[in-house]
Amino acid sequence: MKRRFLPLLFGLLVLPVCFCAHAQVVIIANSSVSASSISKTELRDIFTGASTSLSNGKPVTPVLLRQGGVQDEFLSLYIGKTDSGFRAGWRSILFSGQGAMPKTLDSEAAVVEYVSHTAGAIGYIGRAAPHEGVKILVVR
Amino acid sequence: MRDDARTKERDVKRLPIAAAALLALLFPGADRSWGQSMDDLNLQVHGYATQGFIYTTNDNWNTTNSTDGSAAWMEAVVNVTAEPQPKLRIGVQARYYLLGTYGNQIMLDWALGDYKVNEHFGFRVGKVKTPAGLLNETQDIDPAHLWILLPQSIYPVASRASILAHYGGVVYGSVPLGDSLGKMEYRAYGGQRVLSSDDAYLQPYRDEGLTLPNGITGRMFGGTLMWDTPVEGWMVGSSIDAENPTGSVVAGPYTGTFSAHPFYPYYFYSKYERNRVMFAGEYNRLSANTQIQFSGAPPTAYLTDRRAFYAMASYKISEKLSAGLYYSGSTDRQAAHTISRFQKDWALSARYDFNPFLYAKFEQHFINGTEIGFSTLDNTGGYKPNTRMTLLKIGVSF
Repeated sequence: MKRRFLPLLFGLLVLPVCFCAHAQVVIIANSSVSASSISKTELRDIFTGASTSLSNGKPVTPVLLRQGGVQDEFLSLYIGKTDSGFRAGWRSILFSGQGAMPKTLDSEAAVVEYVSHTAGAIGYIGRAAPHEGVKILVVR
Repeated sequence: MRDDARTKERDVKRLPIAAAALLALLFPGADRSWGQSMDDLNLQVHGYATQGFIYTTNDNWNTTNSTDGSAAWMEAVVNVTAEPQPKLRIGVQARYYLLGTYGNQIMLDWALGDYKVNEHFGFRVGKVKTPAGLLNETQDIDPAHLWILLPQSIYPVASRASILAHYGGVVYGSVPLGDSLGKMEYRAYGGQRVLSSDDAYLQPYRDEGLTLPNGITGRMFGGTLMWDTPVEGWMVGSSIDAENPTGSVVAGPYTGTFSAHPFYPYYFYSKYERNRVMFAGEYNRLSANTQIQFSGAPPTAYLTDRRAFYAMASYKISEKLSAGLYYSGSTDRQAAHTISRFQKDWALSARYDFNPFLYAKFEQHFINGTEIGFSTLDNTGGYKPNTRMTLLKIGVSF
Protein backbone atom coordinates (compact mmCIF):
# COMPACT_ATOMS: atom_id res chain seq x y z
CA MET A 1 0.00 0.00 0.00
CA LYS A 2 2.78 2.35 0.98
CA ARG A 3 4.69 1.53 -2.20
CA ARG A 4 1.68 2.52 -4.28
CA PHE A 5 1.62 6.02 -2.82
CA LEU A 6 5.36 6.65 -2.97
CA PRO A 7 5.45 7.54 -6.72
CA LEU A 8 2.41 9.77 -6.24
CA LEU A 9 4.06 11.54 -3.32
CA PHE A 10 7.26 11.94 -5.33
CA GLY A 11 5.29 13.35 -8.24
CA LEU A 12 3.50 15.86 -6.05
CA LEU A 13 6.79 17.07 -4.65
CA VAL A 14 8.64 17.31 -7.95
CA LEU A 15 5.86 18.63 -10.19
CA PRO A 16 5.79 22.16 -8.74
CA VAL A 17 9.59 22.37 -9.00
CA CYS A 18 9.45 21.45 -12.69
CA PHE A 19 6.65 23.94 -13.25
CA CYS A 20 8.54 26.78 -11.60
CA ALA A 21 11.81 26.03 -13.32
CA HIS A 22 10.23 26.46 -16.74
CA ALA A 23 9.17 30.08 -17.21
CA GLN A 24 5.66 30.54 -18.53
CA VAL A 25 6.40 34.13 -19.53
CA VAL A 26 8.00 35.23 -22.79
CA ILE A 27 9.44 38.63 -23.64
CA ILE A 28 8.14 40.12 -26.88
CA ALA A 29 9.36 43.10 -28.87
CA ASN A 30 8.49 45.12 -31.91
CA SER A 31 10.26 43.98 -35.06
CA SER A 32 12.26 47.25 -35.06
CA VAL A 33 14.15 46.05 -31.97
CA SER A 34 17.36 44.68 -33.45
CA ALA A 35 18.41 42.56 -30.47
CA SER A 36 17.44 38.91 -30.37
CA SER A 37 18.15 38.44 -26.68
CA ILE A 38 18.06 40.47 -23.50
CA SER A 39 19.76 40.03 -20.13
CA LYS A 40 17.90 39.86 -16.83
CA THR A 41 19.68 43.05 -15.74
CA GLU A 42 18.51 44.90 -18.87
CA LEU A 43 14.95 43.66 -18.30
CA ARG A 44 14.97 44.80 -14.68
CA ASP A 45 16.41 48.21 -15.52
CA ILE A 46 13.96 48.85 -18.37
CA PHE A 47 10.86 47.73 -16.50
CA THR A 48 11.73 49.58 -13.29
CA GLY A 49 12.44 52.86 -15.09
CA ALA A 50 16.18 52.79 -14.36
CA SER A 51 16.97 52.62 -18.07
CA THR A 52 15.26 53.49 -21.34
CA SER A 53 17.54 51.62 -23.75
CA LEU A 54 19.18 48.26 -24.29
CA SER A 55 22.89 47.76 -23.76
CA ASN A 56 23.42 48.36 -27.48
CA GLY A 57 22.14 51.92 -26.95
CA LYS A 58 18.86 51.46 -28.82
CA PRO A 59 15.89 53.04 -27.03
CA VAL A 60 13.00 50.78 -26.02
CA THR A 61 9.56 51.47 -24.56
CA PRO A 62 8.25 49.09 -21.88
CA VAL A 63 4.60 48.03 -21.90
CA LEU A 64 3.01 46.67 -18.73
CA LEU A 65 0.24 44.20 -18.09
CA ARG A 66 -2.18 45.55 -15.52
CA GLN A 67 -2.48 42.46 -13.32
CA GLY A 68 -2.83 38.69 -13.31
CA GLY A 69 -0.72 35.54 -13.15
CA VAL A 70 1.53 36.45 -16.07
CA GLN A 71 2.25 39.83 -14.50
CA ASP A 72 3.04 38.22 -11.13
CA GLU A 73 5.33 35.63 -12.67
CA PHE A 74 7.15 38.24 -14.76
CA LEU A 75 7.76 40.40 -11.69
CA SER A 76 8.88 37.44 -9.61
CA LEU A 77 11.21 35.99 -12.26
CA TYR A 78 12.79 39.09 -13.69
CA ILE A 79 12.11 42.14 -11.53
CA GLY A 80 12.34 40.75 -8.01
CA LYS A 81 9.36 42.71 -6.72
CA THR A 82 5.75 42.09 -5.82
CA ASP A 83 3.08 43.88 -7.86
CA SER A 84 2.46 46.48 -5.16
CA GLY A 85 6.21 47.05 -4.72
CA PHE A 86 6.59 47.40 -8.46
CA ARG A 87 3.83 50.02 -8.62
CA ALA A 88 5.31 51.85 -5.64
CA GLY A 89 8.58 52.13 -7.54
CA TRP A 90 6.87 53.66 -10.53
CA ARG A 91 4.96 56.08 -8.29
CA SER A 92 8.28 57.27 -6.87
CA ILE A 93 9.50 58.03 -10.38
CA LEU A 94 6.22 59.56 -11.49
CA PHE A 95 5.57 61.89 -8.55
CA SER A 96 9.18 63.02 -8.15
CA GLY A 97 9.31 64.27 -11.74
CA GLN A 98 11.83 61.66 -12.89
CA GLY A 99 9.66 59.96 -15.47
CA ALA A 100 6.25 59.07 -16.85
CA MET A 101 4.19 55.92 -16.39
CA PRO A 102 4.66 53.24 -19.05
CA LYS A 103 1.69 52.17 -21.12
CA THR A 104 -0.35 49.70 -19.05
CA LEU A 105 -2.78 47.36 -20.83
CA ASP A 106 -5.52 45.02 -19.70
CA SER A 107 -4.80 41.84 -21.65
CA GLU A 108 -2.03 39.90 -23.33
CA ALA A 109 -3.79 40.36 -26.67
CA ALA A 110 -3.70 44.13 -26.17
CA VAL A 111 0.01 43.97 -25.30
CA VAL A 112 0.74 41.98 -28.47
CA GLU A 113 -1.33 44.41 -30.53
CA TYR A 114 0.43 47.46 -29.07
CA VAL A 115 3.94 46.01 -29.30
CA SER A 116 3.41 44.90 -32.90
CA HIS A 117 2.47 48.46 -33.95
CA THR A 118 4.87 50.52 -31.82
CA ALA A 119 8.52 50.92 -32.76
CA GLY A 120 10.84 50.03 -29.88
CA ALA A 121 8.07 48.56 -27.73
CA ILE A 122 8.89 45.64 -25.44
CA GLY A 123 6.43 43.66 -23.32
CA TYR A 124 5.68 40.26 -21.80
CA ILE A 125 2.94 37.69 -22.29
CA GLY A 126 2.19 34.10 -21.35
CA ARG A 127 4.00 31.43 -23.35
CA ALA A 128 0.71 30.09 -24.68
CA ALA A 129 -0.67 33.44 -25.84
CA PRO A 130 -0.83 34.08 -29.62
CA HIS A 131 1.92 36.49 -30.65
CA GLU A 132 1.71 37.13 -34.37
CA GLY A 133 3.53 40.25 -35.55
CA VAL A 134 6.04 40.45 -32.72
CA LYS A 135 9.42 38.89 -32.10
CA ILE A 136 10.37 36.91 -29.02
CA LEU A 137 13.52 37.90 -27.13
CA VAL A 138 15.53 35.17 -25.44
CA VAL A 139 16.38 36.02 -21.84
CA ARG A 140 20.02 35.22 -21.17
CA MET B 1 -4.69 83.44 17.72
CA ARG B 2 -3.27 79.97 17.82
CA ASP B 3 -6.57 78.51 19.01
CA ASP B 4 -8.33 80.29 16.16
CA ALA B 5 -5.90 78.80 13.71
CA ARG B 6 -6.48 75.35 15.12
CA THR B 7 -10.21 75.80 14.90
CA LYS B 8 -9.77 76.77 11.29
CA GLU B 9 -7.58 73.78 10.61
CA ARG B 10 -10.38 71.48 11.70
CA ASP B 11 -12.73 73.21 9.32
CA VAL B 12 -10.58 72.45 6.32
CA LYS B 13 -12.61 71.02 3.49
CA ARG B 14 -11.96 67.30 3.32
CA LEU B 15 -14.62 66.64 0.74
CA PRO B 16 -12.22 65.98 -2.16
CA ILE B 17 -10.42 63.28 -0.15
CA ALA B 18 -13.64 61.64 0.91
CA ALA B 19 -15.04 61.77 -2.60
CA ALA B 20 -11.89 60.30 -4.14
CA ALA B 21 -11.76 57.53 -1.54
CA LEU B 22 -15.44 56.77 -2.09
CA LEU B 23 -14.95 56.56 -5.84
CA ALA B 24 -12.03 54.17 -5.43
CA LEU B 25 -14.10 52.00 -3.08
CA LEU B 26 -17.11 51.98 -5.36
CA PHE B 27 -15.14 51.40 -8.54
CA PRO B 28 -12.10 49.32 -7.63
CA GLY B 29 -11.89 48.16 -11.21
CA ALA B 30 -11.94 51.66 -12.60
CA ASP B 31 -8.47 51.10 -13.95
CA ARG B 32 -8.76 53.82 -16.54
CA SER B 33 -7.87 56.13 -13.64
CA TRP B 34 -4.39 54.60 -13.55
CA GLY B 35 -3.48 57.45 -15.86
CA GLN B 36 -5.09 59.11 -18.83
CA SER B 37 -2.79 59.05 -21.80
CA MET B 38 -2.86 60.74 -25.19
CA ASP B 39 -0.73 58.69 -27.51
CA ASP B 40 0.65 61.52 -29.60
CA LEU B 41 2.23 63.48 -26.76
CA ASN B 42 2.07 60.73 -24.16
CA LEU B 43 0.13 63.29 -22.16
CA GLN B 44 -0.53 61.92 -18.69
CA VAL B 45 -2.40 63.19 -15.65
CA HIS B 46 -1.78 61.56 -12.28
CA GLY B 47 -2.44 62.45 -8.69
CA TYR B 48 -3.02 61.32 -5.16
CA ALA B 49 -4.65 62.54 -1.97
CA THR B 50 -4.25 61.53 1.66
CA GLN B 51 -5.97 62.19 4.95
CA GLY B 52 -4.14 61.58 8.21
CA PHE B 53 -5.01 61.37 11.88
CA ILE B 54 -2.54 62.02 14.72
CA TYR B 55 -2.76 61.19 18.39
CA THR B 56 0.06 61.72 20.90
CA THR B 57 0.02 60.81 24.56
CA ASN B 58 2.01 63.78 25.89
CA ASP B 59 3.54 66.50 23.72
CA ASN B 60 1.70 68.22 20.87
CA TRP B 61 3.35 67.53 17.52
CA ASN B 62 4.01 69.87 14.59
CA THR B 63 1.51 72.64 15.46
CA THR B 64 -1.40 70.23 15.88
CA ASN B 65 -3.50 69.58 18.98
CA SER B 66 -2.37 65.99 18.73
CA THR B 67 -2.82 65.21 22.42
CA ASP B 68 -6.55 65.65 21.80
CA GLY B 69 -6.32 63.85 18.45
CA SER B 70 -6.01 65.85 15.25
CA ALA B 71 -7.10 65.27 11.67
CA ALA B 72 -5.39 68.45 10.45
CA TRP B 73 -3.15 66.56 8.10
CA MET B 74 -3.91 66.21 4.43
CA GLU B 75 -2.33 66.39 1.02
CA ALA B 76 -3.60 66.49 -2.55
CA VAL B 77 -1.22 66.29 -5.49
CA VAL B 78 -1.77 66.41 -9.23
CA ASN B 79 0.72 66.39 -12.08
CA VAL B 80 0.66 66.69 -15.84
CA THR B 81 3.47 65.44 -18.06
CA ALA B 82 4.00 65.24 -21.79
CA GLU B 83 6.70 64.05 -24.16
CA PRO B 84 6.71 66.34 -27.19
CA GLN B 85 9.87 64.61 -28.50
CA PRO B 86 11.28 61.15 -27.77
CA LYS B 87 14.09 62.50 -25.55
CA LEU B 88 12.23 65.47 -24.09
CA ARG B 89 9.73 65.38 -21.24
CA ILE B 90 8.01 68.37 -19.66
CA GLY B 91 5.82 68.42 -16.60
CA VAL B 92 4.43 70.24 -13.61
CA GLN B 93 3.16 69.10 -10.23
CA ALA B 94 1.08 71.09 -7.73
CA ARG B 95 0.45 70.19 -4.12
CA TYR B 96 -2.03 71.23 -1.47
CA TYR B 97 -0.55 70.51 1.92
CA LEU B 98 -1.81 70.97 5.45
CA LEU B 99 -0.20 69.88 8.70
CA GLY B 100 -1.50 71.74 11.73
CA THR B 101 -0.96 75.37 10.87
CA TYR B 102 1.76 74.62 8.30
CA GLY B 103 0.93 74.95 4.64
CA ASN B 104 -2.82 75.22 3.95
CA GLN B 105 -2.01 76.49 0.48
CA ILE B 106 -1.33 75.23 -3.00
CA MET B 107 2.35 75.11 -3.85
CA LEU B 108 4.51 74.17 -6.80
CA ASP B 109 6.28 70.84 -6.22
CA TRP B 110 8.20 70.82 -9.46
CA ALA B 111 7.97 72.25 -12.96
CA LEU B 112 10.63 71.01 -15.31
CA GLY B 113 11.95 70.11 -18.69
CA ASP B 114 13.92 66.85 -18.85
CA TYR B 115 16.18 66.00 -21.75
CA LYS B 116 17.77 62.55 -21.69
CA VAL B 117 20.54 62.28 -24.28
CA ASN B 118 21.30 58.65 -23.45
CA GLU B 119 21.75 56.41 -20.41
CA HIS B 120 25.00 58.18 -19.52
CA PHE B 121 23.76 61.76 -19.57
CA GLY B 122 20.56 63.70 -19.14
CA PHE B 123 19.47 66.91 -17.44
CA ARG B 124 16.42 68.50 -15.85
CA VAL B 125 15.91 72.24 -15.47
CA GLY B 126 13.28 74.33 -13.72
CA LYS B 127 12.08 73.67 -10.21
CA VAL B 128 13.42 70.16 -9.60
CA LYS B 129 13.59 67.69 -6.74
CA THR B 130 16.95 67.79 -4.94
CA PRO B 131 18.59 64.34 -5.18
CA ALA B 132 20.26 64.32 -1.76
CA GLY B 133 20.28 61.25 0.46
CA LEU B 134 18.45 58.00 -0.10
CA LEU B 135 14.91 59.37 0.05
CA ASN B 136 14.90 63.16 -0.38
CA GLU B 137 13.45 63.07 -3.89
CA THR B 138 10.63 60.73 -2.88
CA GLN B 139 10.08 61.59 0.77
CA ASP B 140 6.78 63.41 0.15
CA ILE B 141 5.27 60.69 -2.08
CA ASP B 142 3.00 58.93 0.37
CA PRO B 143 1.63 56.24 -2.02
CA ALA B 144 5.18 55.03 -2.69
CA HIS B 145 6.00 54.20 0.94
CA LEU B 146 4.93 51.71 3.54
CA TRP B 147 5.62 54.26 6.26
CA ILE B 148 3.36 57.12 7.26
CA LEU B 149 6.40 59.01 8.51
CA LEU B 150 9.83 58.42 7.11
CA PRO B 151 12.54 58.52 9.80
CA GLN B 152 12.18 62.03 11.17
CA SER B 153 15.84 62.30 12.09
CA ILE B 154 16.66 62.86 8.39
CA TYR B 155 13.31 63.39 6.64
CA PRO B 156 11.11 65.63 8.83
CA VAL B 157 7.56 65.70 7.54
CA ALA B 158 6.71 69.32 8.33
CA SER B 159 8.46 70.94 5.39
CA ARG B 160 7.07 70.07 1.98
CA ALA B 161 8.41 72.94 -0.09
CA SER B 162 11.81 74.04 1.09
CA ILE B 163 14.50 71.43 1.24
CA LEU B 164 12.85 68.95 -1.09
CA ALA B 165 13.37 70.95 -4.27
CA HIS B 166 15.36 73.83 -5.69
CA TYR B 167 15.26 76.22 -8.64
CA GLY B 168 17.99 75.27 -11.07
CA GLY B 169 18.93 71.93 -12.53
CA VAL B 170 20.11 68.37 -12.15
CA VAL B 171 22.37 66.37 -14.45
CA TYR B 172 22.09 62.62 -14.17
CA GLY B 173 23.19 59.38 -15.73
CA SER B 174 24.67 55.98 -15.16
CA VAL B 175 27.88 54.20 -16.06
CA PRO B 176 28.00 50.41 -16.36
CA LEU B 177 30.93 48.85 -14.54
CA GLY B 178 30.72 45.45 -16.16
CA ASP B 179 28.74 42.35 -15.32
CA SER B 180 30.79 41.60 -12.23
CA LEU B 181 30.75 45.11 -10.77
CA GLY B 182 27.26 46.45 -11.38
CA LYS B 183 26.49 50.05 -12.28
CA MET B 184 27.27 53.53 -10.96
CA GLU B 185 24.57 56.21 -11.03
CA TYR B 186 25.33 59.88 -10.52
CA ARG B 187 23.43 63.10 -9.91
CA ALA B 188 24.89 66.61 -9.77
CA TYR B 189 22.75 69.64 -9.06
CA GLY B 190 22.85 73.35 -8.40
CA GLY B 191 20.68 76.42 -8.18
CA GLN B 192 18.78 78.49 -5.66
CA ARG B 193 17.23 77.31 -2.42
CA VAL B 194 14.14 79.27 -1.30
CA LEU B 195 12.50 78.86 2.10
CA SER B 196 9.35 80.87 2.74
CA SER B 197 8.85 82.75 6.00
CA ASP B 198 6.36 80.21 7.36
CA ASP B 199 8.44 77.17 6.47
CA ALA B 200 8.56 74.55 9.19
CA TYR B 201 12.34 74.43 8.80
CA LEU B 202 12.48 77.86 10.49
CA GLN B 203 10.35 76.84 13.48
CA PRO B 204 13.31 76.81 15.93
CA TYR B 205 13.84 80.52 15.24
CA ARG B 206 10.15 81.27 15.72
CA ASP B 207 10.35 79.44 19.06
CA GLU B 208 12.91 82.05 20.11
CA GLY B 209 10.70 84.97 19.02
CA LEU B 210 12.54 85.62 15.76
CA THR B 211 10.65 86.25 12.52
CA LEU B 212 12.18 85.93 9.07
CA PRO B 213 9.65 87.96 7.07
CA ASN B 214 11.05 87.09 3.64
CA GLY B 215 12.23 83.62 4.49
CA ILE B 216 15.78 82.68 3.57
CA THR B 217 17.38 82.01 0.24
CA GLY B 218 20.79 81.14 -1.15
CA ARG B 219 22.77 79.32 -3.78
CA MET B 220 23.29 75.62 -3.35
CA PHE B 221 24.84 72.69 -5.13
CA GLY B 222 25.65 69.06 -4.51
CA GLY B 223 26.03 65.58 -5.86
CA THR B 224 25.13 61.96 -5.35
CA LEU B 225 26.80 58.69 -6.27
CA MET B 226 24.92 55.40 -6.05
CA TRP B 227 26.49 52.04 -6.73
CA ASP B 228 24.07 49.34 -7.87
CA THR B 229 26.13 46.39 -6.74
CA PRO B 230 26.27 43.06 -8.58
CA VAL B 231 24.14 41.65 -5.75
CA GLU B 232 20.63 42.00 -7.17
CA GLY B 233 18.63 44.59 -5.22
CA TRP B 234 21.53 45.95 -3.17
CA MET B 235 22.62 49.57 -3.55
CA VAL B 236 25.03 51.78 -1.58
CA GLY B 237 25.32 55.51 -1.98
CA SER B 238 26.58 58.82 -0.73
CA SER B 239 25.55 62.46 -1.17
CA ILE B 240 27.00 65.81 -0.27
CA ASP B 241 25.21 69.13 -0.36
CA ALA B 242 26.44 72.75 -0.07
CA GLU B 243 24.15 75.48 1.26
CA ASN B 244 24.65 79.18 1.91
CA PRO B 245 21.37 80.83 2.99
CA THR B 246 20.81 84.48 3.92
CA GLY B 247 17.82 86.59 4.88
CA SER B 248 16.51 89.35 7.12
CA VAL B 249 15.28 88.85 10.65
CA VAL B 250 12.91 90.77 12.95
CA ALA B 251 12.55 90.56 16.72
CA GLY B 252 9.99 93.03 18.05
CA PRO B 253 11.16 96.54 16.99
CA TYR B 254 14.61 95.30 15.96
CA THR B 255 15.68 94.30 12.48
CA GLY B 256 18.81 92.49 11.44
CA THR B 257 20.37 89.96 9.12
CA PHE B 258 20.44 86.17 8.99
CA SER B 259 23.47 84.52 7.45
CA ALA B 260 25.31 81.24 7.56
CA HIS B 261 28.80 80.15 6.77
CA PRO B 262 28.59 77.71 3.85
CA PHE B 263 27.79 74.31 5.25
CA TYR B 264 27.96 70.83 3.75
CA PRO B 265 25.52 68.20 5.00
CA TYR B 266 26.46 64.72 3.82
CA TYR B 267 24.79 61.31 3.69
CA PHE B 268 25.83 57.67 3.53
CA TYR B 269 23.20 55.04 2.85
CA SER B 270 22.45 51.56 1.67
CA LYS B 271 19.35 49.67 0.64
CA TYR B 272 18.55 46.06 -0.16
CA GLU B 273 15.19 45.23 -1.71
CA ARG B 274 14.35 41.86 -3.18
CA ASN B 275 10.91 40.28 -3.52
CA ARG B 276 9.18 40.63 -0.15
CA VAL B 277 11.97 42.06 2.01
CA MET B 278 13.58 45.47 2.25
CA PHE B 279 16.40 46.68 4.48
CA ALA B 280 17.80 50.22 4.48
CA GLY B 281 19.97 52.44 6.62
CA GLU B 282 21.32 55.96 6.40
CA TYR B 283 23.64 58.33 8.25
CA ASN B 284 23.55 62.10 7.90
CA ARG B 285 25.62 64.86 9.46
CA LEU B 286 24.85 68.56 9.30
CA SER B 287 27.26 71.00 10.88
CA ALA B 288 26.37 74.69 10.51
CA ASN B 289 27.25 78.08 11.93
CA THR B 290 24.35 80.50 11.57
CA GLN B 291 24.67 84.12 12.60
CA ILE B 292 21.98 86.64 13.43
CA GLN B 293 23.01 90.25 13.81
CA PHE B 294 20.79 93.18 14.76
CA SER B 295 21.70 96.75 13.88
CA GLY B 296 24.30 98.11 16.27
CA ALA B 297 24.72 94.83 18.13
CA PRO B 298 27.32 92.10 17.90
CA PRO B 299 26.31 88.94 15.99
CA THR B 300 24.84 85.97 17.80
CA ALA B 301 26.03 82.58 16.60
CA TYR B 302 23.79 79.52 16.43
CA LEU B 303 25.92 76.43 16.14
CA THR B 304 24.51 73.13 14.97
CA ASP B 305 26.15 69.73 14.76
CA ARG B 306 23.39 67.24 14.01
CA ARG B 307 24.18 63.59 13.56
CA ALA B 308 21.27 61.46 12.51
CA PHE B 309 20.73 57.90 11.38
CA TYR B 310 18.10 55.24 10.92
CA ALA B 311 17.82 51.54 10.20
CA MET B 312 14.65 50.05 8.76
CA ALA B 313 13.23 46.73 7.61
CA SER B 314 9.95 45.78 5.98
CA TYR B 315 8.25 42.63 4.76
CA LYS B 316 5.33 42.06 2.39
CA ILE B 317 3.14 39.62 4.27
CA SER B 318 0.79 39.32 1.32
CA GLU B 319 0.14 41.22 -1.90
CA LYS B 320 -2.09 43.61 0.03
CA LEU B 321 -0.50 43.73 3.48
CA SER B 322 2.97 45.03 4.37
CA ALA B 323 4.60 45.64 7.74
CA GLY B 324 7.82 47.23 8.89
CA LEU B 325 9.93 48.53 11.72
CA TYR B 326 12.53 51.26 12.03
CA TYR B 327 14.67 52.99 14.58
CA SER B 328 15.58 56.62 14.00
CA GLY B 329 17.91 58.71 16.13
CA SER B 330 19.48 62.16 16.09
CA THR B 331 21.50 64.39 18.38
CA ASP B 332 22.56 67.99 18.05
CA ARG B 333 25.91 67.99 19.80
CA GLN B 334 25.99 71.78 19.96
CA ALA B 335 22.61 72.08 21.67
CA ALA B 336 22.03 72.59 25.38
CA HIS B 337 21.77 69.44 27.47
CA THR B 338 17.98 69.22 27.56
CA ILE B 339 15.50 66.74 26.08
CA SER B 340 15.37 68.98 22.98
CA ARG B 341 18.96 68.05 22.18
CA PHE B 342 18.08 64.59 20.86
CA GLN B 343 15.34 62.30 19.64
CA LYS B 344 15.01 58.52 19.54
CA ASP B 345 12.09 56.99 17.74
CA TRP B 346 10.96 53.39 17.37
CA ALA B 347 8.24 52.98 14.75
CA LEU B 348 6.01 50.03 13.86
CA SER B 349 4.12 50.35 10.61
CA ALA B 350 1.53 48.49 8.54
CA ARG B 351 -0.06 49.22 5.17
CA TYR B 352 -3.04 47.60 3.49
CA ASP B 353 -3.74 48.11 -0.22
CA PHE B 354 -7.46 47.61 -0.89
CA ASN B 355 -6.79 47.80 -4.63
CA PRO B 356 -4.15 49.46 -6.83
CA PHE B 357 -5.62 52.88 -6.00
CA LEU B 358 -6.79 52.91 -2.38
CA TYR B 359 -4.71 52.15 0.71
CA ALA B 360 -4.71 52.61 4.47
CA LYS B 361 -1.78 52.84 6.88
CA PHE B 362 -1.26 52.48 10.60
CA GLU B 363 1.84 53.47 12.52
CA GLN B 364 2.86 53.51 16.17
CA HIS B 365 5.81 55.57 17.40
CA PHE B 366 7.65 55.42 20.72
CA ILE B 367 9.50 58.72 20.98
CA ASN B 368 12.07 59.86 23.51
CA GLY B 369 13.32 63.47 23.23
CA THR B 370 11.83 66.47 21.47
CA GLU B 371 14.40 67.59 18.92
CA ILE B 372 12.22 67.21 15.81
CA GLY B 373 8.59 68.19 15.33
CA PHE B 374 8.01 69.58 18.80
CA SER B 375 7.77 73.29 19.54
CA THR B 376 7.57 75.19 22.82
CA LEU B 377 4.78 77.28 21.25
CA ASP B 378 2.61 74.13 21.06
CA ASN B 379 3.62 72.84 24.47
CA THR B 380 3.42 75.87 26.70
CA GLY B 381 3.31 73.75 29.85
CA GLY B 382 6.72 72.31 29.01
CA TYR B 383 7.82 69.09 27.35
CA LYS B 384 7.43 65.55 28.62
CA PRO B 385 10.48 63.41 27.77
CA ASN B 386 8.50 60.51 26.27
CA THR B 387 5.58 60.56 23.84
CA ARG B 388 3.78 57.75 22.13
CA MET B 389 2.32 58.73 18.79
CA THR B 390 -0.41 56.84 16.90
CA LEU B 391 -0.93 57.67 13.24
CA LEU B 392 -3.60 56.62 10.76
CA LYS B 393 -3.73 57.54 7.11
CA ILE B 394 -5.90 56.76 4.14
CA GLY B 395 -4.84 57.57 0.61
CA VAL B 396 -5.96 57.28 -2.96
CA SER B 397 -3.81 57.60 -6.08
CA PHE B 398 -4.38 57.39 -9.79
